[in-house]
Amino acid sequence: MTTDYRTDALIQVKHLGKRFGDLEVLKDINVDIRKGDVVCVIGPSGSGKSTFLRCLNRLEEPTGGNILFEGVDITAPKTDIDKHRQKMGMVFQQFNLFPHMTIMKNLIIAPMKLQGRPQKEAEEEAMRLLERVGLADRAGAYPSQLSGGQKQRIAIVRALCMKPDVMLFDEPTSALDPEMVGEVLNVMRDLARERMTMVVVTHEMGFAREVANRVMFMDDGYFLEENAPEEFFAHPRNERLKNFLSKVL
Amino acid sequence: MSDKFRADFYQNFIEDDRWKYMVNGLGNTIKITFFAVLLGIVLGFLVALIRSTYEKTRKLWFLDMLCRVYLTVIRGTPVLIQLMIIYFVVFGSMRIDKVLVSVLAFGINSGAYVAEIFRSGIMSIDNGQFEAGRSLGFNYRQTMFYIVTPQAFKNVLPALGNEFIVLLKETSVAGYIAIQELTKGADIIRSRTYNAYMPLLAAGAIYLVMVMIFTHFVQKLERRLRNSDH
Repeated sequence: MTTDYRTDALIQVKHLGKRFGDLEVLKDINVDIRKGDVVCVIGPSGSGKSTFLRCLNRLEEPTGGNILFEGVDITAPKTDIDKHRQKMGMVFQQFNLFPHMTIMKNLIIAPMKLQGRPQKEAEEEAMRLLERVGLADRAGAYPSQLSGGQKQRIAIVRALCMKPDVMLFDEPTSALDPEMVGEVLNVMRDLARERMTMVVVTHEMGFAREVANRVMFMDDGYFLEENAPEEFFAHPRNERLKNFLSKVL
Repeated sequence: MSDKFRADFYQNFIEDDRWKYMVNGLGNTIKITFFAVLLGIVLGFLVALIRSTYEKTRKLWFLDMLCRVYLTVIRGTPVLIQLMIIYFVVFGSMRIDKVLVSVLAFGINSGAYVAEIFRSGIMSIDNGQFEAGRSLGFNYRQTMFYIVTPQAFKNVLPALGNEFIVLLKETSVAGYIAIQELTKGADIIRSRTYNAYMPLLAAGAIYLVMVMIFTHFVQKLERRLRNSDH
């Protein structure tokens, strides 16, 4: 995918910092995420990439800096973060489906309770999305009856049912058996093709190279390098990135 | 032997309509247990929510402190002392329905145990469930209500059932404030007939049957709630 930037940034991150006690995990993060961007964040474990992602919807409270989402400073104390989170879908490493609800209930509870959508409409929308990920026949099942790959596809659909403007993926394939990684990446690839804005923390270099339009390398609480994927993987400049890529590729 | 049994039975239950002591006593036992269970659940649930909210968010510290005092005092003293203090000290100067006093005493007592049961249930739910709820846009209260507490309730149901069995049997000390519940009823018969085994065994058997019926329903409910784990 080539760069097709519009000027308007969907998410603007300014001087973002996060510390846990004495441990400074994010130091000075500045990045704009534009509409339609597919941003892959890579880096060694413990580098702060998950924390960065979780700061974007304030599952982690930033300890410094600002995050603007659709022009609104969501780090301001008065912000109703719940409202903005409805527009930011999130997919977790551990799926986190609600085990006491059927798949269908998992998908419709948030649209019904938060957006006041009628049950019938919410179910139709959910069914349409289930069909797209090939799981329409599992609507009545419980999460415990599904494989890991199926669970993660459902988790993606659950986030999509809220019609978000951006999707945040926190290592979505890291907890999967190898043979199930592909089915999840395929769903994400389809999403990217439909110009969904995505921020993906991942170890899947192949996915980053093929699907992302921007790849960013994080280490030690900073973004050390950013580039289009071809450049990023072919001609890394930063020494630590070179070192990292030599280990993972 | 069977003639003796028949004679004892007649003397203890039929003569002078003594069975009424048992039946009325049973009625009071059930009444006290039922309303004390309700009060215990409401109190326990509230206390558990406050305590786990404090543990998760560090908010409500003052209420949390009050809850901890409540738990310490109630769990640290015998229920019989609590019952008598409520009857003879708190309401000592008032005429008040003794059954109501018992409901208060046993409900407040049970609430402390139920609170810790609920809290352990809430804390046992993986934080990822909470985060998933929040990430969809649910606020703290909605996340607790729709996502965390239904799972917590399912997990603690066996412990909760156990607590109610304990409560049912504990009401047998309500006789200390002269309530005629089941145990007291049996004891009155004993004091009239000088026959101990018949009324006491009968009372014991009635408790046993009630516990068995109750256990049966709890197990049924457990099975129904378990249908999501295959």
